[in-house]
Amino acid sequence: MRCNHIREQWDELWEGEATAEVRQHLTQCAACARHYRDLRLVRSGLHLWKREEAPEPSLGFAERLVRQLGEMSKAPSVADFFESVGRRFVYAGLVLTFLALLALALPPTGPVRGLTAADIQISAQEASLAYSDPMEETNWQETPDLAPVEESAPAVPNEVK
Amino acid sequence: METPGAQIVDEIQWIKRAQQGDAEAFGPLVQKHQQRVFSLIYHLVRRRDEVEDLAQEIFIKAFRAIRSYNFQSSFATWLSRIATNHCYDFLRHERASRVSFYWQMGENSQQELESNAESQPEQVLDHEEQIVLKDLVDKLLARAPENDRKILMLKELQDYSVEEIAEILNLKPTTVKVRLHRARKRMLEDLREWREENKGHAL
Repeated sequence: MRCNHIREQWDELWEGEATAEVRQHLTQCAACARHYRDLRLVRSGLHLWKREEAPEPSLGFAERLVRQLGEMSKAPSVADFFESVGRRFVYAGLVLTFLALLALALPPTGPVRGLTAADIQISAQEASLAYSDPMEETNWQETPDLAPVEESAPAVPNEVK
Repeated sequence: METPGAQIVDEIQWIKRAQQGDAEAFGPLVQKHQQRVFSLIYHLVRRRDEVEDLAQEIFIKAFRAIRSYNFQSSFATWLSRIATNHCYDFLRHERASRVSFYWQMGENSQQELESNAESQPEQVLDHEEQIVLKDLVDKLLARAPENDRKILMLKELQDYSVEEIAEILNLKPTTVKVRLHRARKRMLEDLREWREENKGHAL
């Protein structure tokens, strides 16, 4: 008998006793003997647990439980209330999350608004750039900065200067 | 004395009344199944002081869910399923201990215990050896993956058949067999690894 055969019979060994053939192999193979010894050790421990008697229910356990259940079914359960309210919060949260994801998935176009004075000014600057000769040095110098037009700074009172 | 057939009819009546919200009708169901539930909890959790509180929670849970019981499986199996899941919620945060009395024994005592466990029935072992062995298995079970633990405890400690375990865990019997085989194997592998970790720590 080889080690493989022993390992194939593992479940049988777990539930029953080793056959004479297996026992003979165990006397010749240290690895399998170690394995079998562990198996017996664990199995004995499990059997000891199995034999342990569970504690008895205390006197009147069922009666107390029924009384408790009766009281619980009379009064509307606070837990049930919170459960139903909580469930609504979860649904609302899911809807909001879905809407937020939808908003993120849409193309990032801004809201439609009317033209402002600053927009018209920038458009005029862009138009003048389009018709100017970029190679002309004078035009380079004269080309206004495309940065947003800032309002002129308020005059500083003379006292501060 | 009632015949088994009459008992089943009674049980069906109690269940139907409990499904209408009749807490009184749930009483006989508790009486009938409390011993089995206590035993299941004790073997799953292995702490005497927790058993009654857990049993109470399980029966309350069962009463609240009783409308979902559809008579497809036996009431005992349905209740065992609730009890198993509840105990696992309780155990989920349990931290596996790295200490066991077994590793604190001297190497000679370990070998003596192994040899005794191999050669004689476990009930013949002396009291101290029994405590050490139970502690070792308790810790090994606590270290095992959740699915392994469930199957090992239902089979090895509660002595359920493969078919009953399949019903409780909603699995096919062949899946239970495969998982049981793997769980046993993994438990022994874990013992070997644990032994390596503790080599030299023995007194």
